[in-house]
Amino acid sequence: MDIIVAKDVRKKFKLKHGQQVKNNGIVSNEIDALGGFDLNIKKGEFLVLVGPSGSGKSVFLDIVGGLSTPTSGVVYLDDKPVDAPSEKTGYVFQQYALFPWRTALSNIEFGLESRGVVKEERVKIARELLSLFGLSDFEDRYPYQLSGGMQQRVAIARALATKPEVLLMDEPFAALDAQTREILQNELIRIWEGTDTTVIFVTHSIDEAVFLADRVAVVTARPGKIKEIIEIDLPRPRHGDIRSCSAFAANRHKVWGALKAEVNKAQQDWKHAPVNSK
Amino acid sequence: MSLKFLQRFNVKDRLLGLIVPLFVLALWQGAVSQHLFSELLLVPPLTLWNTIIELFRSGDLISNIQVSLNRVFLGFLLGGSAGFILGVGMGLSPVINRALGPLVKVLQQVPELAWMPMIILLFGIDEFARIFFIAIGAFYPMIFNTYQGVSGVPEKYHELARVFDYKSFRYLSKVIIPSALPSIITGIRLSIGLSWMFLVGAELFGTESGVGFLMIMGRQMFQIDVVMAGLVVIGTLGLIINTLLKKFEQFVLRGRVSFDGGAA
Repeated sequence: MDIIVAKDVRKKFKLKHGQQVKNNGIVSNEIDALGGFDLNIKKGEFLVLVGPSGSGKSVFLDIVGGLSTPTSGVVYLDDKPVDAPSEKTGYVFQQYALFPWRTALSNIEFGLESRGVVKEERVKIARELLSLFGLSDFEDRYPYQLSGGMQQRVAIARALATKPEVLLMDEPFAALDAQTREILQNELIRIWEGTDTTVIFVTHSIDEAVFLADRVAVVTARPGKIKEIIEIDLPRPRHGDIRSCSAFAANRHKVWGALKAEVNKAQQDWKHAPVNSK
Repeated sequence: MSLKFLQRFNVKDRLLGLIVPLFVLALWQGAVSQHLFSELLLVPPLTLWNTIIELFRSGDLISNIQVSLNRVFLGFLLGGSAGFILGVGMGLSPVINRALGPLVKVLQQVPELAWMPMIILLFGIDEFARIFFIAIGAFYPMIFNTYQGVSGVPEKYHELARVFDYKSFRYLSKVIIPSALPSIITGIRLSIGLSWMFLVGAELFGTESGVGFLMIMGRQMFQIDVVMAGLVVIGTLGLIINTLLKKFEQFVLRGRVSFDGGAA
């Protein structure tokens, strides 16, 4: 069953006054971020979007999350068109965006407060999540007293606290160092494999995509649309060691094969970067 | 550099800050006792000290300080809350900002003292006129700092608020105000500071109480020691208020490492 259906989603952005782009000889003050995005996401699957920079992956995520509206086309969540943030979705940003005035525990409670969950219940849920991420000893710490990896764990816990059906993750590990990143990937997959949450995960890293995903959707250079969807045929539960097996390399090769041409195209696209008209 | 060296450096620094005033006091006392200046014009420190003690003992000083503090508090409450409410409005709504911003900027250019004739015409020389005068001083730091804090709330916080369905009052009290708090507190500190500065100005016209009144009386009766005692009291109280506000700021903002929203 498909929990999310995106139909011909398009999104244009107006450039700042006085800026314009020239594409195929046509001068315009708009940029097409998404150019007919069609995607069906199955309930409970882990779908990863990869694509060159500026291909509109994050824009699509914002539309699914109800933070942004498409110029045309529609995204259905449980058969209902998305037009505002839904209780069914959780969001994890690249910048952890924890509140510096709240402790780790209290940051996780944030989403539960507005949903009217009572204090004891909130603390119970937040403590369970902290323990799941191995952060039980850090509940009273403020964000600046936590490492980048710990902060992102807290941000993921905050998103999971409201038990979302769909978890949207926008390059959540991009700001972390390579080792911490692998550890967090391992933790995320361990925790996710114990749930039935649907995840849409945006990344630039092919290794990350292959390790995490059931399916990898390769997005074209701007204007973004789905170029190809690749099933990752690695067994679950997955452990960190799987990264060094040959099946992993084969999947990696497949994704890179689909992505390579788009990355080159995106590089060429810089020729069309906005210029001032005057 | 070792820690010990740094600490010693710090102590030396502080001593330097004490030595100079003590030296000035000694020079002052010496100059008067050598009759270089008339004792009537330049009251020696020891006499001044005695006057302050005496004013304390008689209760004059305490009751006038109470009156002055009360005025500062009411003026700050009036001007500060107006600045806060408008600052939040301007920070959240570009429309309000565009509507009010230019007006506020023009009015800010009017020197504080220039308001006085206007205020006297509007309210007469009564207690409300004095409080209103202080309120004008309190208003500007509050509106600008609140505006800055609220308009500087990171975009991600707004998005989080939308994701987790924070609306109206809850949005304001749980996201906007806490995020803008460092700026708001700076606003409160500067606002109370300016209220204190304008207090004496407010007490210059037609008062019969307050520390400023005490000084005016001193001048009229040619009691230089009372005038100087007033200066010392105003300076000292201002310092105490500022120190308390700094402590308050540190307490409220504990746990925050930077003022731009930390690791956000």
